[in-house]
Amino acid sequence: MSNYASPEEYGLADLLCCAAAHEVKDNEVVFAGTGLPMVAIMLAQQTHAPNLKLIFEAGTLDGRPPEIPTSVGDARCEMGASRASGLYDAFSIAQRGYVDMGFLGGAEVDQYGNVNTTCIGDYLDPELRLTGSGGNPDINSFAKRTVFIMVHEKRRFVENVSYITSPGWRVKKWPGGEFVHRRELYGAAYRGGPSAIISTLGVFRFDEQDGHMYLDTYHSGSTPDEIKTQCQFDLDISRVKGATELPTKEELRLIHELLDPDEIFIPKTKKS
Amino acid sequence: MSNGKRITLQQAAEIIKDGSSLTFSGFTIWRRPMAIIFELIRQHRKNLHLIEVNGGSQTEFLVGAGCVDIWESCWVGHELYGKYGANLSRKVAEKKIIVEDYSHAEMLFRFTAAASGSPYAITQTSLGTDIHNPEYDMLGRAGLRDGKRIAKLKYQFTEDPFYGAGSQVLVPAAKVDIAVLCVQQVGEEGTVRVNGQYYSDPEVARAADITIVMAEEIVPEEYLRRNADQNTIASFEVDHIVECPFGAHPTGMFGRYDVDGAFLKNFYATTRTQEGYDAFAKEWIHGLDHISYLEKLGWPRMLKLRANTAMNYSPREKKGGN
Repeated sequence: MSNYASPEEYGLADLLCCAAAHEVKDNEVVFAGTGLPMVAIMLAQQTHAPNLKLIFEAGTLDGRPPEIPTSVGDARCEMGASRASGLYDAFSIAQRGYVDMGFLGGAEVDQYGNVNTTCIGDYLDPELRLTGSGGNPDINSFAKRTVFIMVHEKRRFVENVSYITSPGWRVKKWPGGEFVHRRELYGAAYRGGPSAIISTLGVFRFDEQDGHMYLDTYHSGSTPDEIKTQCQFDLDISRVKGATELPTKEELRLIHELLDPDEIFIPKTKKS
Repeated sequence: MSNGKRITLQQAAEIIKDGSSLTFSGFTIWRRPMAIIFELIRQHRKNLHLIEVNGGSQTEFLVGAGCVDIWESCWVGHELYGKYGANLSRKVAEKKIIVEDYSHAEMLFRFTAAASGSPYAITQTSLGTDIHNPEYDMLGRAGLRDGKRIAKLKYQFTEDPFYGAGSQVLVPAAKVDIAVLCVQQVGEEGTVRVNGQYYSDPEVARAADITIVMAEEIVPEEYLRRNADQNTIASFEVDHIVECPFGAHPTGMFGRYDVDGAFLKNFYATTRTQEGYDAFAKEWIHGLDHISYLEKLGWPRMLKLRANTAMNYSPREKKGGN
């Protein structure tokens, strides 16, 4: 009998959470924001990566929260932590190069992994002002790799994002704004870039040389051809490996019984 | 012995003038000086220039009330209780506010520069993003970069002259008139003890010309001096102190009370429009003072939010604000 959950046992948020958790390796230093990324990281901590070191942007270093915090400023963050400090520590540690991976989100992404969380439409006359950058560009500049969790809609996977909040593999060189590989701009501070976009349809990765996105795996229920039609740019589907690994029964138990029993970030799916 | 730093909530708000630049303690929805924010709104303060490491509920209350002309920061929202700053979005759409976008680390480093008396900070963040798009220098477009309190440039690129490490970004010190902090304890002479994550409180207190500290309790100075290694900010960095229990509500305070998620959810849901904001302010801000605000909230609600002293959060407050 399979350890994998059957389709009626998990929801899309479970699948995203588990796929995100699988991106983390043991012993890594990981930077996580509020929401699904927190659940994913704590799931990795409970499964294959018990020695990962968790940093919360508000100033908790090597946190081991006993239950899911409501946001990174929450008192729960620092329970069991090595240190509760402040933003100067969190950001200088990140800029120093300690961070292996960051979990992030976004409203729009382009074919190079540039992400927008600032506004929809012309920045000088926006249709909608969003939250702004937060630490998204910082973690994406400082970490060796970043993983984005995003809702997949054609209007979000675009040729050009309205505003590059967070740098992908090919970014704008100022003052002219022409696209260059990020290696050219970051110099000695170059450490990597977005390594995966986990959307509600599939998992996407990047060719680090030319900076283009390609489809790596598709979630159960979608196909590469369908996913291609849900991108405004010409998505490379030639390198697809197969279907995204399904959540296991144990992962689902950890998410819903231990990590997020109150369904703050991940709703429970159909139950008997 | 008191040295006269103690003032009232009303006096604290009066120190902040129309046109002042302001910054705050805390992080998004934690330890924000809400009681003073509400008093500023009651006093109809205008033309404020907020310079914040990150925004949060305090930004949304002030912006919705029309107190703010300029907002320099990186993020606004109410975390899981409201996904973006609906009042700021509305004012941006109506072109009633100037927003200058920096990244979170850039804002933090701007305050560390100001706090150490340096004119600028150096960082390697956000290269290649539209944060550095020269067309998007909004204070420059508005002709406000006088090189006095507002830097001549939004940022400047430079090459590392020492180790050849390549492109660096220089960001100007955050020169700010007044920092308003909200903490657990302050001594009679101004020594501050923050419990839990101190966010960017030490930097913003040191950066500002005037620092006002609102605390859950004013405690004997000698009590804090018995364990000086546990203190966060030195006495002489603080100009004025105010005692105000539950002064951070509806934001949360480590070890004292949780974020009032239901309150913020309701604020977010009902203040998408100016009419909605005005109605909310009429009910919860105008015509009240801090004590009548707490009476309106009621003891049962406050007790539910009160933190367990061993856990530092409230196990009674259901996460998610439902």
